[in-house]
Amino acid sequence: MSKVRDFLKPGATLLVVAVIAALVLGLVNMLTADRIEAIALETTTEAMQAVLPADSYTDLEVEDDGEINSVYAAAGGGWVVEVTESGSQGTITMMVGVDETFSCTGISITDSSETAGLGAVASQSSEKGEAFRAQFVGVSGTVSVSKEGGEIDALSGATITSRAICTGVTAALEYCANLG
Amino acid sequence: MNAKQQLKEGVITNNPVLVQQIGLCATMAISTSLFNGLGMGLSVLIILTCCNVVISLIRKIIPEQVRLAIFVVVIAGFVTIVDLLLQAFVPALSESLGVFIPLIVVNCIIIGRAEAFSSKQSVGASFRDGVFQGLGYTVVLVCMCLIRELLGSGTIGGGLFNGANSFLTLDGTGAGFQIFPDTYAAGAMILPVGGFLTLGFLMALLQYILRKSAEKKARKEKEGEE
Repeated sequence: MSKVRDFLKPGATLLVVAVIAALVLGLVNMLTADRIEAIALETTTEAMQAVLPADSYTDLEVEDDGEINSVYAAAGGGWVVEVTESGSQGTITMMVGVDETFSCTGISITDSSETAGLGAVASQSSEKGEAFRAQFVGVSGTVSVSKEGGEIDALSGATITSRAICTGVTAALEYCANLG
Repeated sequence: MNAKQQLKEGVITNNPVLVQQIGLCATMAISTSLFNGLGMGLSVLIILTCCNVVISLIRKIIPEQVRLAIFVVVIAGFVTIVDLLLQAFVPALSESLGVFIPLIVVNCIIIGRAEAFSSKQSVGASFRDGVFQGLGYTVVLVCMCLIRELLGSGTIGGGLFNGANSFLTLDGTGAGFQIFPDTYAAGAMILPVGGFLTLGFLMALLQYILRKSAEKKARKEKEGEE
């Protein structure tokens, strides 16, 4: 009998603790879910406005291929594409604006975890970061870094990050060209 | 155990990073800019304090055999709550710390303090332990960030300030104050190798100081005897 109790008591205690934790988490999730969603939507809209201003955007259905997350058709023509590429430390998610001639109207990096001081410059609001992103305005076709004969000057010490962004922009341009 | 002694232990003599040498993985990974260091340090402080208090409250009903499982449930629960609250109410901070918050679950400082301290001590002492150990962690992180950032990219306060227009940027995108041009900076300092070097030097420095003060104390006692 005492053996059975030896098993039951720890198990039951763990169960109670887990149930309480689950209840509290459920409650916190209920209280925060709407706010989190609203904030995510706002951030997305802001990023879209930054790369291709328009009055409204229509979400086009895309098949998730692990690269293109979503494509929005801008009201005034053109598209905004959300792309995820793997950078040097993790994935980089960016918004790429594409106009009707399939050239890039601008990029905005919405999520990244690149090395501070090197790759992280790409998403910073600093002079260097702005200058790096500005290079993508007007590019078309296959975008690559200058080391590979392309038009983009890579950030110093952050070739992998710069390359990943080029790949992302290329993928977005190609996707839209196939759409149009 | 009094508060003053606990403070001294947390920050110096039993510092979680430099003396207990726990939670090193996250320390290496994030101590590259001041913003990250402060954010991570404060998040750990808050979560550690909450976990310590709860574990101390239920320490008498936790069965010996499943204590680790219960610690993990409590820690993961608090980390998730803090993560959700940050996302909902401080989205800017949450965005920059996004990667690091879930990492706190596997940060052994918290499970280490639960096992070594709060599962055996009163609620008050556990609360103070959480605050002081968290403070010790934050101080080391901030030191490492300052050293690595200055040597590695020539800036101070990366993420927190934007040197170009000296604004306080709370979203972690500021580039910091440029102290010297980054062409002269040792880029390796912000890579993992710089983390190991900085941590090693800080550990050695603290050991040196502790030994000197112990020697001084011993000398004093000897003199007192004579």
